[in-house]
This record gives sequence, C-alpha cells and structure tokens, in this order.
Amino acid sequence: MKYKVIPEGKIDGKIIPVSVAFIDKKDIEAEGISEDDAIIKTAKEFDGPVAINVFDMDAVTTTSDGIVAEGAIVRMGAGDRGHVNKEFGILPMAEIEYSEERIKNEPHLKQWKKYYPGRKLYRGPDPSKKLIPVHNVVITGRTANNNSATEMMNIVTMDELIFPILGQLQCITHGDVLVGLTGEDISVGIGMTVAEEFGRVFPHPQFPAGSTAHNSGDKAKTLKKHIPCIVCDKKIIAALTIKAIEAGCIPARDIGCSPVVLSVARALGAPIAFERITYEAQAELDSIGCTREWMQVKLGLSKDEIIARADDLIPGAVGAKKFKADEIVFEREV
Amino acid sequence: MRLMHTKLPEFIQKMYNAVGRAKGDKTLQISGLESLHSAKMQSLRTGRIENAVEEIANDENVANVELKVLPRIPETMHTVLVKGKDADGKTTKIILEVINIIHPTEETEFDGCTDIEDRRPRIGLH
Repeated sequence: MKYKVIPEGKIDGKIIPVSVAFIDKKDIEAEGISEDDAIIKTAKEFDGPVAINVFDMDAVTTTSDGIVAEGAIVRMGAGDRGHVNKEFGILPMAEIEYSEERIKNEPHLKQWKKYYPGRKLYRGPDPSKKLIPVHNVVITGRTANNNSATEMMNIVTMDELIFPILGQLQCITHGDVLVGLTGEDISVGIGMTVAEEFGRVFPHPQFPAGSTAHNSGDKAKTLKKHIPCIVCDKKIIAALTIKAIEAGCIPARDIGCSPVVLSVARALGAPIAFERITYEAQAELDSIGCTREWMQVKLGLSKDEIIARADDLIPGAVGAKKFKADEIVFEREV
Repeated sequence: MRLMHTKLPEFIQKMYNAVGRAKGDKTLQISGLESLHSAKMQSLRTGRIENAVEEIANDENVANVELKVLPRIPETMHTVLVKGKDADGKTTKIILEVINIIHPTEETEFDGCTDIEDRRPRIGLH
C-alpha cells in the first residue's frame, strides 16, 4: 500500500514534532483492507510519533472560515512506536448529508451545491461516536492528532504543528506549500469560523460568520504565533476564496471574516457584511491592522491579478519558505 | 459501605503491603497520585491492582515494581478555582474556570516491553 509522509524532524529550522502520513482511500481499497487496518499497518512503519490521515480525494471539505475545497480527511489516526491506541487512536469523520435545509442553515455550503453537486462532504467527527470529551482528537502515546487532523502535537515535548487542510491537500496533489511560523494573522484567522454541524473543531453550530471563537481581544493574535505551520501557497487560498465569493458567499455573513477572506474581498472590491462583524471579532481584527477603514478600501483587482499578487495581498505564515510539496513529502510503500 | 470505597492512604498502604508479601526484598515506586490530597478509590479495583502488584513482585525476574496512575481518558476536564485571600487568610473572592488537559496514553510507558496484559474493561463497561 502506498502512502506519503512528512517525517518528524525539522524543515527549514521549523520543528515538525511528529511524522505526518497521508493515505489515499483508493490505495486502501486497492489493498483490500479496512481504513483502520491501513492506519495500524502504517503506524507499524514508525518507531516514533506519527499522525495518519486518510483522504477521500473525491469528497469535499470546508476550511474553518467556510471555504469549500476538494479532498477530505475521512479518518484520522495517531501512532507511537508502532502502536495505535485501541480506544483513542482512530476516529472517522462524519459524512454530512445534503439537504436544502442544510444549505440554508450553513450558507457557506452554497459552494458545495454550485461547484461540487453529488460529492460527499466531510469535516469533523460525529460527537456521539468519540470517547474523548472535548477535542476532536486522536491520541496514542505521545501523539495527538487534533482538531480533526489539522493540528499535531507531541504531548511529551509539547511541540505543536499547525497543518490546515489546504496545506495537507497540497501535499497530496504535488502542489506548493509554505513552511513557517503561524504568526498573528493566522492566529486570529482560525478563530473566525462558520457555524457547522459536526465541524472540524466544534461539534455543533457555535460561532457563525462574523463572530470569533476565540473572543480574546488583542491577545488572540498571540495564540499560535510561535508555532510552526505548513500551509498552502497563497495563490491556492486566494483562488478558492474568490471562487467562494463568486458562488455568492459574502464575508462575515456566509463565510468567516478571517484576514484572508477579508483581504480577498477587499482586493476584489466585493461586498463585506460589516454589520455582522461582532465587536469582539473586530477587536481581534483591529489588533492585526484589519480595521474597518482598511476593509472599506476596494482595490478592484481582477481575479487573475489577485492570484498573481497573492504573496503580497494575502496575509499568512511568518518567516515562511516556499516548497514544492514533493520536496518535503516522501512517497513510501508498506 | 467500607467495602465500597478505599481511602487514598489505605490504597497506597495496600500496594506496599502487596510488595511486602512477595518473595524477596523488592521495592515499589508509586506515581501519578501526587496531586490527590483526599480521594475514595474503588475497592474491588483496589483489590485487583493489589493482586497485580503482588503477581508482578513475585516474578523472579522483577527487582523493583513501579505503579503509575494515568488518566484513563487522555483528555481530562478540570475545574479551576482562582482564590483571593486577605492578610488573615480569609478567602474573599473566587473565580471558577475550566481547563481541558490532553495527556499521553499508556503507550508512552511501555518502554519497549511486549509482554502486556490488558485487564481493563473497555470504556463504558466498567
């Protein structure tokens, strides 16, 4: 069975606290084994901590700020020294049923309806099927694969890696990634969520577009500031955000008011639902320079110009170096 | 009611007694209970652990026994009390908060050992 891996260690001086393995569901099916067995088999290849994510590249998923992307994690695992904890080491994500009612309740999913009809949608797990009370996490030994497999931690060294879904998808599709520190903009951005049932972080709709899950004022920007991250190239997130806006998603109403979303809307000159940005969310945005005055400037750039100038227009990782994903991801067989 | 629960000091004493009953001059180190000041321990489970300690201590290859207590669920939710006290030691203000703590699971303590006998009931079957 084929799988890909970013080994534990360092990339450009940034600590990668656990190995991160990616398995395509189709490679598991070709092997004729279950997804659980594929995770257990892969874990045995590692003498140290490893997070193992199983992908369905025909399915779709959402980012925390509500952007829909192709390729979804359908099962997450955690291994350490060849072990996978029997009770806490593996967790499937829940398939989200399509309905018009759901599109109404979760308006960011109009992207799903418009661009990916008939495709399966996965985000986080069904809370009734997990044994760990709060976090959407799997744990074996030192390895914690958290927030539905987008934050990995070595619980003994306490080093952490922020690895958002778009960065992981680049690793699977031979794309481009940035390896850097999470910084202030992403620290604030990951709190600007949309309300979802069985979401990546929250099991039930909790923090709608325009609000902040962090509610931490000018301290929110410090949350993950010094933690390494692997994120997608900015042209990828710019293109997907433009696509979301073109599907009729209005920032702060249908999709989150993250600095990335606001930067793209501002560059396009697209409407922003200013009245829906809560006082608490605005306080966090103000602390990183996304003031109401800044948001109100309309650059009126074309789609192509925004994508071409994404490195300058879109905020993100700090001190980051760009890599072809294939430079840091290794293909292996077990 | 005495059979329903065991006091924390009794639990600790029972474990030392179990090692004492075993053949030879063996030692016991207990960890993981340091932050507990008062607690009632399950009595029947105490007896099972006592038996396990004695069984391990009776192994002729064993010189020292370690007993480690880890959270069964590797994410624990705790209430936090932040207390303000005046110069006389009287508590004048308390703020209650909550914190969730993620812990390593038991694999971290396996030390490369392969002879592992899991006698725990599954979650929900206690």
